[in-house]
Amino acid sequence: MKGAQVVPALARRALNEILRVPGAAIPGVLAPTVFMLGISAVFGNVTQLPGFNGLDDYLAFVLPVGLLQGAGFTGAATGVNLARDIEQGWFDRLLLAPVSRPLLLAGLISSASLRALIPTTTLVAVGLLFGVKFPGIVELLIAASLVMLLAACTACWGTIIALKFKTQQAAPLMQIGSFVAVLFTAAYAPKQMLQPWLKGVATVNPVNYVLTGVRQGFIGNVTWADTWPAYLAAFALLTVLASFAIRGLMRMGR
Amino acid sequence: MPAIQAKGLERRFKGDIKAVDGIDLAIEPGEIYGFLGPNGAGKTTTVRMLVTLLMPTGGQALVAGHDVAKDPSAVRRNIGVALQEAALDPLMTGNELMLLQATLQGMSSKLAKERSVELIERVGLSEAADRRVGGYSGGMKRRLDLAMALVHGPSVLFLDEPTTGLDPSSRFQLWQEVSRLRTEGTTVFLTTQYLEEADQLADRVGIIADGKIVAEGTPDELKRESGASHLEINLAEGCDPSTAHQALAKIGAPEPAAEQRDVRVRLTDENAGVADAVRLLDDAGIMVEEIELVRPSLDDVFMEKTGRHLEGSGD
Repeated sequence: MKGAQVVPALARRALNEILRVPGAAIPGVLAPTVFMLGISAVFGNVTQLPGFNGLDDYLAFVLPVGLLQGAGFTGAATGVNLARDIEQGWFDRLLLAPVSRPLLLAGLISSASLRALIPTTTLVAVGLLFGVKFPGIVELLIAASLVMLLAACTACWGTIIALKFKTQQAAPLMQIGSFVAVLFTAAYAPKQMLQPWLKGVATVNPVNYVLTGVRQGFIGNVTWADTWPAYLAAFALLTVLASFAIRGLMRMGR
Repeated sequence: MPAIQAKGLERRFKGDIKAVDGIDLAIEPGEIYGFLGPNGAGKTTTVRMLVTLLMPTGGQALVAGHDVAKDPSAVRRNIGVALQEAALDPLMTGNELMLLQATLQGMSSKLAKERSVELIERVGLSEAADRRVGGYSGGMKRRLDLAMALVHGPSVLFLDEPTTGLDPSSRFQLWQEVSRLRTEGTTVFLTTQYLEEADQLADRVGIIADGKIVAEGTPDELKRESGASHLEINLAEGCDPSTAHQALAKIGAPEPAAEQRDVRVRLTDENAGVADAVRLLDDAGIMVEEIELVRPSLDDVFMEKTGRHLEGSGD
């Protein structure tokens, strides 16, 4: 099974950076952590508003947002690294291998999914340290798997941008995609409290369903009604973005 | 069947710029083919098309019997490529890179390890194999790149300016490796800016200028086409150049030289040389201060075909 060897080999190579230059992981961990703590400290009392339905821990409410932001940073880093590989010629080596383009993409995004566990672990640990209740093993596994799927989505987005512009200078575009997608959800307040236009955007934004799926274990119980739409949205988003990324890979050199 | 065959191969870029303008190639298995040309001549574009990194916009190319446009995967399975910049991950060790390359080529873990050890040793990197590539010298990187290109035992190897920027010692080491490939029957497509490199290594040379092949043949054939060897003679003080001209007419065609005491003779007799000239001049009572036999070089060929010198000709 060639794919069974190639995907982990490419993922290992991408993870090498974290192991050998640990500082490379710091921005993707630090930014969502600081953001999470800052937002919860400033707006912590917002839970007293009626829309929060008696929820008293705002940090537990925004912790999942930090997890999705961590996934966004990880995906953007995958795109930036790919752009660097294109600039430096390394990517030609991958294109010259008799490996199907979907397998190459699988190698890239699987590394992003694995890397997303670093900010996830850190943010959950910080959250627990600041008083968030332990959500439970199954709840954590659901949250982590959804975060990994979203990291794969944002890695596809980063890949699309990297293949299009072939330069690390396109990094802001890679980051803005997930930033906007996470922002236009019920990130900082329940959906019923949002302005009508944002409520409308959040309703059609697949990331909002992912957020609900990740959040459910931190603020209440896991339900099937919140779980399946989250996975469906994540897989649908991944399918669409991966299709465009594969198209970009197939078009290289045309 | 040729190992590399191209008919009317063409690549246009935006703005209707023809980087490669309908070239034909027929390179036999086991041949080392030197592809010469200055920067921007179309060498790298040609290589990128032949190795499936760039789609041709016209014509056809078969590498190892497979069409580069219709069956790129089959081409990739049969070729090894070391591109102009040795693109290596500086954070990985030589061994790790060899194993990754072998995995990308679909080799089993056991075979990958065996081939890695063998090739790392062959290119003289055994001691550095567990060090990160970021600390390698330019020559070491090139040798590792060559070893990686050979890991799956390709029948056709593409080397795109493999020695550009290397010191003479590293260049010589790489030449030795390429020469060794000849004995193993690997077809090598070698692009270079260095005439000496093509002269030393290539069985045949193609010269590309402005996207077109302007000359092709063995280095000797091309040099012969370019003209005969000539003698540059500096006569002793007081000697009459016209007497020297008369004496040397038996072996060639004397030509006027820049200095009064200099004589330049284009040899018409291929077997004639310095000894014949000295004997003829001695018989005519002409004393010689300096004499030199100048053979045509690939640079002369290049100059004749393209009207300019190759950048690397001075190296």
